[in-house]
Amino acid sequence: MILTSLQRRIVLVFGGLLVLIMALVLALVRDSSARIVGSEGHSELAVGAKVFQRLLEQNQRQLETAAGVLSGDFAFREAIATQDQPTVRSVIRNHGQRIHAQVMMVARPDGTLIASTQRQTAPGDAFPFPDLMLEAEASGRSAGFRQMRNGQLYQVVLVPIMAPHRIAWVAMAFQVDDRWAKDMAGITGLAVHVVRYGARGPVLLASSFDAPQRAALAPGGLPAAGQQAVQDIAGESWRTMRVPLDGAMQAVLQLPVAMVEAPFKELQVRLLWVIVTAIVVFALGSVTLARRIVRPLEELSQAAQRIAQGDYGQALPALPQDEIGQLATSFARMRDGIASREERIVRLAYVDSLTDLPNRTRFLEAFARQPEGSPRAVAVLNIDRFAMINNALGYQVGDRLLREVGERISHLPYPPLMVARLWGDHFAFLLEIASADCARSFAGAVLEQLRDPITLDGQRLDIGGSIGIALYPQDGLDAGTLLRRAELALAAAKRRRSGLAFAHEAGAEPAPEQLSLIGDMRAAMAAGAHGDQFMLAYQPKLDLKSGRIVAAEALLRWRHPERGMVPPGSFIPFAEQTGFIREITPWVLDAAIRQLAQWQAQGLDIAVSANLSTLDLLDPELPRRVKALLEFHGVPAVRLCLEITESALMDEPALALSHLEALAALGVKLSIDDYGVGQASLAYLKSLPVNELKLDRSFVTAITDSPRNAAIVESTIMLSHALGLSVVAEGVETEEELAWLRANGCDVAQGYRIAKPMPAAEVAGWIAGLGIAAAA
Amino acid sequence: MLLRAFLPALLALPVCAGAAGVQTGPATLDVLVRTPAGKPLPDAAVVLEPAAAPASASRARPHAVIEQRGAEFAPWVTVVQTGTPVDFPNNDTVRHHVYSFSQPKRFEIKLYAGKPGQPITFDKPGEVVIGCNIHDWMEAWVLVVESPYFGKTGPDGQARIANLPAGRYRVQLWHPLQKARVAAAEVEVGASGGGASRLNLVLDARAREPRPHTEVDQGQY
Repeated sequence: MILTSLQRRIVLVFGGLLVLIMALVLALVRDSSARIVGSEGHSELAVGAKVFQRLLEQNQRQLETAAGVLSGDFAFREAIATQDQPTVRSVIRNHGQRIHAQVMMVARPDGTLIASTQRQTAPGDAFPFPDLMLEAEASGRSAGFRQMRNGQLYQVVLVPIMAPHRIAWVAMAFQVDDRWAKDMAGITGLAVHVVRYGARGPVLLASSFDAPQRAALAPGGLPAAGQQAVQDIAGESWRTMRVPLDGAMQAVLQLPVAMVEAPFKELQVRLLWVIVTAIVVFALGSVTLARRIVRPLEELSQAAQRIAQGDYGQALPALPQDEIGQLATSFARMRDGIASREERIVRLAYVDSLTDLPNRTRFLEAFARQPEGSPRAVAVLNIDRFAMINNALGYQVGDRLLREVGERISHLPYPPLMVARLWGDHFAFLLEIASADCARSFAGAVLEQLRDPITLDGQRLDIGGSIGIALYPQDGLDAGTLLRRAELALAAAKRRRSGLAFAHEAGAEPAPEQLSLIGDMRAAMAAGAHGDQFMLAYQPKLDLKSGRIVAAEALLRWRHPERGMVPPGSFIPFAEQTGFIREITPWVLDAAIRQLAQWQAQGLDIAVSANLSTLDLLDPELPRRVKALLEFHGVPAVRLCLEITESALMDEPALALSHLEALAALGVKLSIDDYGVGQASLAYLKSLPVNELKLDRSFVTAITDSPRNAAIVESTIMLSHALGLSVVAEGVETEEELAWLRANGCDVAQGYRIAKPMPAAEVAGWIAGLGIAAAA
Repeated sequence: MLLRAFLPALLALPVCAGAAGVQTGPATLDVLVRTPAGKPLPDAAVVLEPAAAPASASRARPHAVIEQRGAEFAPWVTVVQTGTPVDFPNNDTVRHHVYSFSQPKRFEIKLYAGKPGQPITFDKPGEVVIGCNIHDWMEAWVLVVESPYFGKTGPDGQARIANLPAGRYRVQLWHPLQKARVAAAEVEVGASGGGASRLNLVLDARAREPRPHTEVDQGQY
């Protein structure tokens, strides 16, 4: 039997209480018994003493009666009246035998003996107990315990002999000896002794004890008359009491304490048995009860441990419908509640509530759970024009669209390891493939799924998607990096409208400081004109034929509050990559056109050129915005020149062309920037509404060194002129270059040889100064 | 007990004639006996013994009577001259057994009713106490004296002794319950010429206390 703590406590408490109570009961019974024995003994002895005294009285009365009857006998009286001693002696002997008196004496009224049955006394002697006679004269008769000369103790009765006047006294004595004491003891139930307390100490005259006990009896240590005390005699306890008999004569009555104690002793023994039995029964009962209570608790405890380990499916122990059973029921309800809540929490944590697909967190975890080194790839899908659909048809439709897309991409012919919704219209796939080809075919399958139009509220929506793919481990070692690279690839894919791009095609991941630049750029733009972080510098363009400054290129400068001037090469490509350029360009256009209006008002007759990025060129709003700005500032379109890179044209040639045509229609001049780096042919350029070519600075720098370069530049200038395009040379830094360009028919030159980019306010003064210099 | 001790001495007193010897007419003596407390003492015997000469014995002896009535002797005290016969007539319906163990006269009249055939003659002087063997409380006293001159006090303590020849007498008092015998007093009777003379005497004795009848109610059943 293993006693657990609670069980042990129950057993100990119950058993302990019972033992305590029983001990108290036993102690109480013992104490009460002792007291009852004491009081019982006391009262029994007192009753015995009363019986004894009553017996004495009765004896005396019987003796007196017998003596009275005898003394009234006529013949007896007649014999006594004769005063004849032999007659009287024989009479008293005879009549004494009749009433069993051991001693008879007859005395004259004056106290002299007439006759006696005792040999020691002679006629004429004084009656031995004159005190008895005095008492008898007063009350007619008397009685008492007296010791005769032979040492024997007698109960003496003295009665008068009336004829009819008192003529004599007759004394009758009855022996008080051991037999008498035993008789008294038999009736009273007490030990009876008679002791005389004389001058020479107590003398035992009669006793109901036998010899050995009598030897141990010490009459000296007796209690005062009427009091009781307990004495030990011969190893036995006696309750002792003294009853005065007559003068120095005392009766000592004793009650054996053991006799009174016996029933109580037996009671205590029986009670002890009852207590022992009760404790055994109780201990067994409480052990059983405790086990009955504790075992279900242990089972529940084990069940709780299993629940703590996340096992909610186990069956709870079947228990009776008592409080513990109810506890088990509540416990089961609690477990079910925990299970359902945990499921919900897991859902909330890991499942996207809109599409019921796993969320980003789940995706990251799933990636992390893949065995290290296993082939993996991450693909990110984005719905094309989703923002447009959301704006045009509302978020509800957008949400339903996302759900539909989620539904479709969850049922691919070759399902990926996981499909998740990252955010907005971005979905991610975890692929168990390593090669770009496999990834490509997977992307094709995904896009195929989206090819069928989606019908929502009777509207057919043609949707498409772009996918960016990052491969493990080439593009990154962790899910976060891979997702980021895949997103960048996605951006590239959208830019190129190619539907699919790989991370390695989208360029390296931006450095961390570049990432922080995005935030800084946003802040600078939000600060606007007041912040003065962004500003335009203008680099004059020299017309080589007239020698006049005919135009200036607006160049974006960023004065970072902490880093100082940030080189354009450090943030513009990044702004283009992240799309932030779409917010910068409108500001640049606005600032440049405003400056044009200002110079126009000052009478300064120059044109301004501004750069457009690829994204700007794809913005359908661009032509309208340019038109609105020109009209707002009252600047003729011909004064504005927009510079476009070759690559911008290559990403979305058709869209770019339509926008270029719209711009050209406004009268805005268009220039191809950095010509010579890309692969665009002049024939292609001719199909564009372009007015000018800007030769890349790498060609210009090489003119004077390499005749071959010079030849290329020369032929390009000639060819451009033939196609009706004017030619601008960038990066002119030496007088030689300038001279060469002038000599070879280049139209316009730009570079440090002419002027560095300068703040707008300095432009007018610089031109004026140049004029003076030229004039000089 | 004391009474009994002194009784023989009283009876042994010598009888003396009057000192003068002058014969005058008979006289009467009134004696008042009282207790020391001054209370009149009834049932006291007053006996006069002539100091000079013994009384003449020729005088006839009339019968004295001690009857039994209501289980009591009546009278309780009787004074007689020696030789006086006493009748014990029983006037009760129950029988009596009259006896005396006294020295001067022992007798026994066994169970009888009515008047016994023979009177009891008290021929020796002395005190005789008489009882009934059936009724222990019954008691009568007879004082037997030599002198013919005696009397007994009545309830008023008065005793009259008539026909006293003048002369000198010893006056002896006696009562059954007297505490001590008193010495005889001397008195001169008729010396002054025959008138009644009075004598006041004191005797220490308890008054009679009738003993309870132990079977007094039995007759009523």
